[in-house]
Amino acid sequence: MTTKTAERAAAQVTESTSLRRLEMVRRLWAWVFLVILVVFFTVAAKSLNDTNFLSARSIQGILVYATQILLVGLGQTLVIITGGIDLSVGWTLGLAAVVAALVMQALHAAEVSPVLVITAGALAGLAVSLIPGFINGWLVARVKVPPFIGTLGMGGVVTGAAFLLSGGYPIAKQPPYLGQLGNGYLIYLWPGQGVTFLSPPPDLAGEQLRELVPLIPNVVFVTAIVVLLVWFVLSQTQFGRHIYAVGGNFEAAVRAGIPVRRTLIQVYILAGLMAGVGGVLWAARFTSGAPDAGETTTLTAVAAVVIGGASLFGGEGTIVGTLVGSLIIAIIQFGMVILGIVPFWQYVAVGTVVILAVVVDQFGRALGK
Amino acid sequence: MEPLLRVTNLTKRFGGLTAVNRANMEVHVGEVVGLVGDNGAGKSTLIKMISGVYQPDEGYIEFDGKRMALQDPHEARAIGIETIYQDLALAENLDVSANIFLGREVRKPFLGHLVQVLDRSTMNNESSAVLNRLDIHIPSLSQQTRNLSGGQRQAVAIARAIYWNARLMIMDEPTAALGVSEQRKVLTLVRTLRDQGVPTIIISHNMQDIFAVADRIVIMRRGFIVGERKAADTTVDEIVSLMVGAEVVHQAGVLPRALETETA
Repeated sequence: MTTKTAERAAAQVTESTSLRRLEMVRRLWAWVFLVILVVFFTVAAKSLNDTNFLSARSIQGILVYATQILLVGLGQTLVIITGGIDLSVGWTLGLAAVVAALVMQALHAAEVSPVLVITAGALAGLAVSLIPGFINGWLVARVKVPPFIGTLGMGGVVTGAAFLLSGGYPIAKQPPYLGQLGNGYLIYLWPGQGVTFLSPPPDLAGEQLRELVPLIPNVVFVTAIVVLLVWFVLSQTQFGRHIYAVGGNFEAAVRAGIPVRRTLIQVYILAGLMAGVGGVLWAARFTSGAPDAGETTTLTAVAAVVIGGASLFGGEGTIVGTLVGSLIIAIIQFGMVILGIVPFWQYVAVGTVVILAVVVDQFGRALGK
Repeated sequence: MEPLLRVTNLTKRFGGLTAVNRANMEVHVGEVVGLVGDNGAGKSTLIKMISGVYQPDEGYIEFDGKRMALQDPHEARAIGIETIYQDLALAENLDVSANIFLGREVRKPFLGHLVQVLDRSTMNNESSAVLNRLDIHIPSLSQQTRNLSGGQRQAVAIARAIYWNARLMIMDEPTAALGVSEQRKVLTLVRTLRDQGVPTIIISHNMQDIFAVADRIVIMRRGFIVGERKAADTTVDEIVSLMVGAEVVHQAGVLPRALETETA
């Protein structure tokens, strides 16, 4: 009798350690994948066309590239943790870029001061992104439309709105200082001579310009702040806890008195808002607004979130995971460009990675059961 | 002594069927009441009226000497009637203390009074205190409840109820999905609750469980409460004959086989 109990206890212990090992694999594989990718592209870039994949310039290039995926991915993380998905966010990014660009174009033409032009443009882009977010949340939380369909439909509406507003053309003719801001750096290091912030030292020519080391792209800085904020909200606040509860056990959340519908609506609004930030930054980087600015970002952001360990079944996901996932996608895309692979392969690569990540998640769950 | 719970002439009809018919029952502090009956006898309907899920067609419920007209389960919980559900109502992706404080998280100010953040250390301390008080052992409070055993999860659900001042527990088949040693732990916990002043109404098909834990057994048949026995003064035989109707047992002349072996 006692030996049997002991055996059973021992079996339980091994079971729980193997479970924990599985958890570790789930949590760590993205980091391992990241390292493998970096090593692979470093070696490949060196041997194939003798370029340094890990130079300060290309690292910052990867980071800039990752910001768009990451911003959309942050909101997507919250939505996916609640057990939903938002397929409209990429298009919301485009709409925000168009609206921000339209406002800045008009104010610039009216010769308003640069600070006002930028502020008003940014605020307009952010404000418009709240609308699809709110409607998505209302559809999912109140009307009980499945998130997949509700947000897909909303994506169509948003796309149409953006094209109608822009007349189908990119909104160019932006103020010149917009591009300096969008493609500028926080710090310019001029070795042996000094440091300037936000803009390079004036009157540099040829050789001197090449010596200049720009550090921390503005868009990366802005994105980093947003990442920190969202991380804080999700991991340290009651609202964040409720997001996990809604995705973990909806019934339990209702019974515990959590305002589930309000939580859902807020999550979808935040997803729209993050995409809005992405759209404003896009307009600043490309000094333009285009309805299809985020066309591929919905997919890449979902990929980043799922690679980062979030589960499409809800209840699981972290901001750090999404950060790693975004870097992985950015490195794959950037690395393929450096290796000179036809860019269309990027779609194939990203799509495959999404499917793989979901399979790993399902497999892990099946083992855990 | 005044009973904590008294139901008088409680009746519930569903169309032409009277699921519970003029039921009278009391629960006192310091006891565990076993509620038994065949399928469809009306046990679940009776406790659903007590926990506010159904509203009685006739009769009334008194809790702590006051008449209650419970409109929904939230009202019942608010006055201290807590039902432990089969699915346990835990968020399995969250850890033990997150579940105990689910929906009622403790917060503390951060950056002056700019924002409120989760006060994890207070919630962890309070959680381990309530678990200790109930003699519940869980290896780590920081693990997701999905990694706990069925009995441990049940214990967490019970600890949560107790922490939030449950005064009467209702458990419907709490041991149904558990292994033998886990069943025993849950029954021990029910007795611990009783000794700390929280009575339990427990529904079970398992006579062993009922006799192991109940002080008093209330028997239902076809919507009526047909009998009430002190567990110490009765036998499985007697309870079963009350459950199925004594005349049926006499006519058939035999008890179901499983019950024969149990009484032997």
